Amino acid sequence: MSNSAPSGPRRSNEPKPQPFDVGAAFLSYLVPGLGQIYQGRVAKGLLFCVALYTLFFYGMYLGHGMNVYLPDETKLPRMFLLSRGNAVFKDGVELTGFSAAVGHRIHFLGQFWIGVAAWPAIWQYAHFEEGKEPSGVFGSFQRMPPESLVNQIQNEDDKKWDLGWVFTVIAGVLNIMVIYDALAGPAFGRTVAAAREPEVRKNVAVPANT
Amino acid sequence: MLPSLPILELAVVPYYWHLPLLILVVSLVYSATRFDQWGPIFREAVRWGLRLSAFLLAIVVILYVVATYL
Repeated sequence: MSNSAPSGPRRSNEPKPQPFDVGAAFLSYLVPGLGQIYQGRVAKGLLFCVALYTLFFYGMYLGHGMNVYLPDETKLPRMFLLSRGNAVFKDGVELTGFSAAVGHRIHFLGQFWIGVAAWPAIWQYAHFEEGKEPSGVFGSFQRMPPESLVNQIQNEDDKKWDLGWVFTVIAGVLNIMVIYDALAGPAFGRTVAAAREPEVRKNVAVPANT
Repeated sequence: MLPSLPILELAVVPYYWHLPLLILVVSLVYSATRFDQWGPIFREAVRWGLRLSAFLLAIVVILYVVATYL
């Protein structure tokens, strides 16, 4: 009985796995499609960039520009990852600081993956002071809106508010797939590259002694 | 003149008109992460677009029937 890996023609026909391209994946995190553009797949990269930014910023527009932000967790109820009195941690596991802010605004976990377009929310969170007028580079962009204003919009507007944040979250989550595409290639392989490879080899395989 | 089917009233609900963008983007981006060639990307995008539309339409009809007749 042999436990060795399968060999022969079937194995040799299998496409070689692509090495992971971590740099391109990081670029695609920063700006959707940038990693694909860096890899030479320019049209596909532009498709990702235009499609995801359109969805993300259209979602922000539907939410009156007030649905991508991190709240000031110090004014909100305490947030527990595990509630107090459970069998393992008697005092529970409390979220504090940034993690508590994300816990209160769980949408941001999805929105974060759109990349630099969601970073102003982190900057605003780090520089937030209650009662202070919005200032600096970003102004009120992705700053925590006043609660009264959010309540007013939700009461008086139609369901566009909810559609808006859903659009921004979906844009962020879709970018995870784009990041993976940059990291490991498309799910069904780089067919164009694979198909061209023998042709390229044939053209460059010139015997050294001629 | 449009026939006066009650379900057609749903077409004037404004927030439904934002959904085609969502369906288009999700279908295209998902398909583009499956393939590298434009032919398969567009074919897969059309298939996913139809599936998503059919699924959302089915949900709308079910909710409409439940809300109106039950």
